Amino acid sequence: MKSFLVFIAKILLLLLLVAVALDFVYTTVFAASENRNKVEKVINSKPQNYDVIILGTSRANNHFVPELFEQQGLKTFNYGMSGSHLFEASLLLKLMVERGWDIKQILLETDLNLSNEKRDPGTSAWMMPFLHRSETIREHYYKEPDFNQLYYIPFYRYIEFDNRIGFRALWKTATQQPTVFLKNQGYYPLPNTSKGNMKNNIKALRPLRNRYYEEIKDICRKNNIQLIAVTTPMCENTEGMEYFSKVKQLYPEIREYEQAVQGDEYFSSCGHLNDRGARKFTEIIINDLLKKK
Amino acid sequence: MFFNSLSFALFLPIVFILYWLVFNKNKTTQNTLLIVASYYFYSCWDWRFLFLLVFSTLLDYSSAIMMENSTSDRKRKFWLWLTIGINLGFLGVFKYYDFFAQSFADLLNGFGFQVNPVLLKLILPVGISFYTFHGLSYVIDIYYKRITAERNFVDYSLFVSYFPLLVAGPIERATHLLPQVKVKREFNFEKAKEGVYQILWGLVKKVVIADSCATYANAVFDNYESMNSLSLALGAVYFAFQIYGDFSGYSDIALGTSKLFGIDLLKNFNYPYFSRDIAEFWRRWHISLSSWFRDYLYIPLGGSKGGMMMKVRNTFIIFLVSGFWHGANWTFIVWGLLNAIYFLPLLLQNKNRSNMGEIEMGWNRASVKTLVSILGTFAITCLAWIFFRAKSISEALGYIKRMVTDFHFESQYLNNERYNYELLLLVFVFVGVEWWNRSKVEPLSGKGSWVKVSLALMALLALGVYSDYKEFIYFQF
Repeated sequence: MKSFLVFIAKILLLLLLVAVALDFVYTTVFAASENRNKVEKVINSKPQNYDVIILGTSRANNHFVPELFEQQGLKTFNYGMSGSHLFEASLLLKLMVERGWDIKQILLETDLNLSNEKRDPGTSAWMMPFLHRSETIREHYYKEPDFNQLYYIPFYRYIEFDNRIGFRALWKTATQQPTVFLKNQGYYPLPNTSKGNMKNNIKALRPLRNRYYEEIKDICRKNNIQLIAVTTPMCENTEGMEYFSKVKQLYPEIREYEQAVQGDEYFSSCGHLNDRGARKFTEIIINDLLKKK
Repeated sequence: MFFNSLSFALFLPIVFILYWLVFNKNKTTQNTLLIVASYYFYSCWDWRFLFLLVFSTLLDYSSAIMMENSTSDRKRKFWLWLTIGINLGFLGVFKYYDFFAQSFADLLNGFGFQVNPVLLKLILPVGISFYTFHGLSYVIDIYYKRITAERNFVDYSLFVSYFPLLVAGPIERATHLLPQVKVKREFNFEKAKEGVYQILWGLVKKVVIADSCATYANAVFDNYESMNSLSLALGAVYFAFQIYGDFSGYSDIALGTSKLFGIDLLKNFNYPYFSRDIAEFWRRWHISLSSWFRDYLYIPLGGSKGGMMMKVRNTFIIFLVSGFWHGANWTFIVWGLLNAIYFLPLLLQNKNRSNMGEIEMGWNRASVKTLVSILGTFAITCLAWIFFRAKSISEALGYIKRMVTDFHFESQYLNNERYNYELLLLVFVFVGVEWWNRSKVEPLSGKGSWVKVSLALMALLALGVYSDYKEFIYFQF
């Protein structure tokens, strides 16, 4: 039995060594990359100046066209990330500020994402290689229930988020294969779809007094950044549009644009504008809020 | 509690330590602990079905004794058929009732009668097909006086409920397992070490091979109407490796786990994709089920006695029943039928036992023939797997039709955000590792074992699929 226990101890030790070695290799490769996603682009950046930074979910990523802002002389980048929540938007803003970015205005999509305070696994995955390298990221994830596993168990975070930062992503990062995330200054245009009669049901959603929105407001106030929070368009056939009245009650400063673009021909799906719709919506936003006087 | 879950990783060491350090006084304490652990293991799935397991154990145990005590053949037959009837009755109600009711209703509707069948929509108790067959083999062996009835209830209960084999086999025989649980087990370092290697290799097969292949196979099968010939062919190959990695990986973990407790289970797989014909494939795939059907169905039906027609009839019966055993769906029946059809030419030419020896390969003409035979057998096996994986026969036929008529062979981007060829390298490496170690139970032991274990651990951590968790396929049977 003693020999067997020694044998098992050796296997466990080997497992630990393999995990540490893999963790080192993965972290080294991912942390050195700066052109495959928006998180690493921010983390590995030098101080820079922006007139407008766009933050939010896919409803920011697919709805605001930086090219049109730039035509107005506004240096802009769309940092909206598909699937992300305000949890990640807040962290990304903290990282930008920490790296000495000079930002005049933040255009923040605040609508359906106000209904939750959870992290998004897809976007969080991109933060994970930097968990031990950035105090800001460590603090942001500190209250997550699995923080100890993510932080202290070697390689655990790469297993937990293996579909985003697994072996395949490692290979593509090491060989510097490009992605679409940073094209068009971060804007991802959606195609037209032939789907008629678009519909959606958001009755189950309830806006929260969202701690990460509060964090973003706080950061902007302390760093003298003008925060413009907006809702973005939904298709006409959406059940539960009273959600937006509740948003208005909770946060009167949020500007309402949920019905700014009407007509299914402007949508790719009920919650997402197509490229044509996004351009129309961006023009409205620029004219209303941002045009240089 | 899956074998590849964290809860099992905690459960196993606890039971192991209790077994060897606390409850190792005699075989009764060892067996009692294993029964308690097994019942706990089973209750983690659904405690309500424990009563079925206990009932099945009590029924087979008492029927066997009654059968042995019976003085007349009539009484013995009565107890045999009563036990078979009740066991298969449970299996029928839980697994097959809805299928028969729906099929019968569909048939009547086809004739113009309007019938709405009453469906039970019961949850299938995990492992019911396996422990039912366990019990049946035991009572049939008693009936034919191959063994004597087990009088010790604790020993018999362990034979039925032993947790490594409870939910997905191997389907054990009383003649093999009962003698082992009737003696006190002494710790054997070499056997335990073999067990650990086998568990590790089983995990690699499941988490690295099967689950990776599953994401590709699912992406192809779920969207087969938009896939081209190359994607559909690869989808079938990926599913072949998914089901092999999944089930043989499960079996390796079961066998390895059991070795930790000093008990050997029946070998269930013997590198089936290196088979040179379909008969050899069935001697290497799910061996415990194939041999069960041979011993308890094929031979009682007359086996090979009575001429060629009898042989053909019996072969078709066991393949159809084997298909139906897997699930209540016509797709499984067609899968069984297809395998019977593959088997037929070998049977008619008396060549079904021509590939019994080791596979020899070298740089000669005979080896080319062997390689072609292996690839041919694999190809027809993949074709049959399409029926096994498809949701309906029409879906399977649609899949095959598109695969052979589309004639487009460019790589496609799948909805799992990967290209359809990306997994091939991993599959080739896996095949290579299995090929070079085909004379061994697993490839990790032997010379350079620490290097091989390190590579296996690395593969498990770096190449395993964890975020998209997948159950073992055979748990549904």
